[in-house]
Amino acid sequence: MSKTSSKTMTRPQLSRSDIASLQADLDAVRDEVMQSLGASDVAHIRRMIRRARGSAIAGRAMIGLGFDPLTFLVGVAALAHAKIVENMEVGHNVMHGQYDWTNDPALNSQTYEWDNVCDAGMWRHFHNYEHHTYTNILGKDRDFGYTILRMSDEQKWHPFFLFQPIWNGILAAAFQWGVGGHDIGAERLLNGQMSWKEFKQRSKPFHRKIRRQLMKDYVLFPLLTFWNAPRVLAANFLANLIRNLWSYAIIFCGHFPEGTAVFSEAETQDETRGDWYFRQICGSANIEGGRAFHILSGHLSHQIEHHLFPDMPAHRYAEIAPKVQAICAKYGIAYNTASFWRQYGTVLGKVFRHALPSRRANPALSQA
Amino acid sequence: MTTALPIRLRDRALRSAWLHPFNDADAINDLLGSLNPRWSLTEVRAELVAREPQTADTVRLVLRPNRLWTGFVAGQHVTITVEIDGVRHQRVYSLSSDPADRRLLSITVKRQPQGRVSNWLHDHLHCGDVVTLSPAQGDFVLPQNHGPVLLLSAGSGITPMRALLYALRARGAGDVVLLHVCRDADDQIFASELAALASGWPGLRFVAWHTADRGRPALAELLATVPDHIERDTWLCGPAAFMADVEAHWQASGATERLRLERFGLAPTVIGSGDAAEVRCSRSERLFAAESGEALLPAAERAGLKPAYGCRIGVCRTCLCKKRSGTVQNLVTGERSSEPNEWIRLCVSSAQSEIELDL
Repeated sequence: MSKTSSKTMTRPQLSRSDIASLQADLDAVRDEVMQSLGASDVAHIRRMIRRARGSAIAGRAMIGLGFDPLTFLVGVAALAHAKIVENMEVGHNVMHGQYDWTNDPALNSQTYEWDNVCDAGMWRHFHNYEHHTYTNILGKDRDFGYTILRMSDEQKWHPFFLFQPIWNGILAAAFQWGVGGHDIGAERLLNGQMSWKEFKQRSKPFHRKIRRQLMKDYVLFPLLTFWNAPRVLAANFLANLIRNLWSYAIIFCGHFPEGTAVFSEAETQDETRGDWYFRQICGSANIEGGRAFHILSGHLSHQIEHHLFPDMPAHRYAEIAPKVQAICAKYGIAYNTASFWRQYGTVLGKVFRHALPSRRANPALSQA
Repeated sequence: MTTALPIRLRDRALRSAWLHPFNDADAINDLLGSLNPRWSLTEVRAELVAREPQTADTVRLVLRPNRLWTGFVAGQHVTITVEIDGVRHQRVYSLSSDPADRRLLSITVKRQPQGRVSNWLHDHLHCGDVVTLSPAQGDFVLPQNHGPVLLLSAGSGITPMRALLYALRARGAGDVVLLHVCRDADDQIFASELAALASGWPGLRFVAWHTADRGRPALAELLATVPDHIERDTWLCGPAAFMADVEAHWQASGATERLRLERFGLAPTVIGSGDAAEVRCSRSERLFAAESGEALLPAAERAGLKPAYGCRIGVCRTCLCKKRSGTVQNLVTGERSSEPNEWIRLCVSSAQSEIELDL
């Protein structure tokens, strides 16, 4: 398949009236779910919170009190599972405001703080605002390539990207640190747009959160069972590493697989909600899997539905996915869904391919 | 006011970054709550122990709070939080029990037409169920010293009067009049308690005005039953129109310093299209006008306020703000909501009535 035909497939030309009726169709899908929210949705998220807590307690107990390799491995798995469920299904979704309608302070987007080094306030800014508003708009969505990876022909090449398979590996292993530092915008320090003073000021919440996380995983818990301290240190490090690799892999499958489109700032001015919906679908990709997989991914496996309705409780995405897919078919918009290995395979392919300079496919889209 | 030492230590421990995650209040409260629903580290939780129907549409709910309840002064109210179909709702009710009883408290709830919480409390709150309470609040209370007393109420406005009566009796007050307006004898809340109080306490005179027999009273006619009313220290609670009339009368007589009022939350009056609604900002103590159909964010900015914002299209929630009261409409979905203390997005919410924001 030639590059041009794949472009036309992912980004069909829709008339203004098509965009308007696309908006009405998707609004109807949203309204039906949002009007049916109730006790079962709250029960779901509270069950997830209990699952994460229970798993963390069991894991930390096995790590701290056990002596054998088996409790070490099971303990690490339980703690990694706890961190994954808490970060992905609870933290991410609560901080999106998916449960603000409950008026429960424990489920409030503005006060929730999650179990990783990224400060919740900084995350809400670059994620809820920058990424979800300007999804895949080059130059505005800093999540597209996370400022260190070139993931499409339209991004300007630089020799720095030659080594991006290495940057990609480092980011995968240290994902929480990448996410945690993202909102500081260190690239602006490097190209002289930010003063050292401003950089330090912007880093403060990150530093606070790092202290809190390191204290917990690498001081408090190792001290509590001091005779086992090396074992606890190693286990906590591994649990954080597993969570990093998992969340990295899921999140990279959201917007980077083959077939996801990018946009220019110029073409997205004066967008209607219909245009915005259209961009969210074209820029996102789903991963196929069962219910357990969806929960462990925080339902980011339904990235398309998540980007259409970021404040809808995520466990409802599976139920609306067939409707969204049917609407996409109606307007000839590609609904990008495939297995994890297929999606991640194409992401890795892009990491390698775009390390090398290439002709810009669409000069109109290119960054200055 | 100094807080007790255990409470101060608890609050310090809960704030400490060093103890995390052992000081996660939500987790501890969930754990305690699963052992006993009344237990909590931070919240007053109370179990319903009795329901006493007062009239066809009014019930007195007797609650047994946990040890975080510090009691109340007669005339005060509490905010009660209940969860209905996954959504937490808050309502304010006057405390109608004897303040000398530290073990039990009661609120008295009248069904409101379409009232989500009042009807739920009537139909779905069973003995053994647990609700969350705020500490007691309000200054509708007795001063250190007072002269002859008039308690003036209509309908469910009598609820704080019951607590005030217990407190007055405990003080040995010698000249108290309770003047109460309601439909008929069957509509009389606390009928048996009032009879018992009056029989054992010569200082109390109880005057009832039943509108079914005598019609809705003209104010002068009603007040003529207590000729020296303007000389008395007066506590007033009832429907808004009734209270406005009484207040105007006391103002005209230059006796407002002797009049204390307790207002119910009102159903907000919805503005017409093309009108502007008044928006009160409780934190900045500012006031601005928002046109109907206009988002609150630009209206606030026009007034010189600088609320946080991001996308301005309802996506990112940077402009999330607590609405204390009033009705707003979501400009994206068209949905209207009058729930007190709910979170709204300023960029896609328009005022449909007078509103108060935590801004």
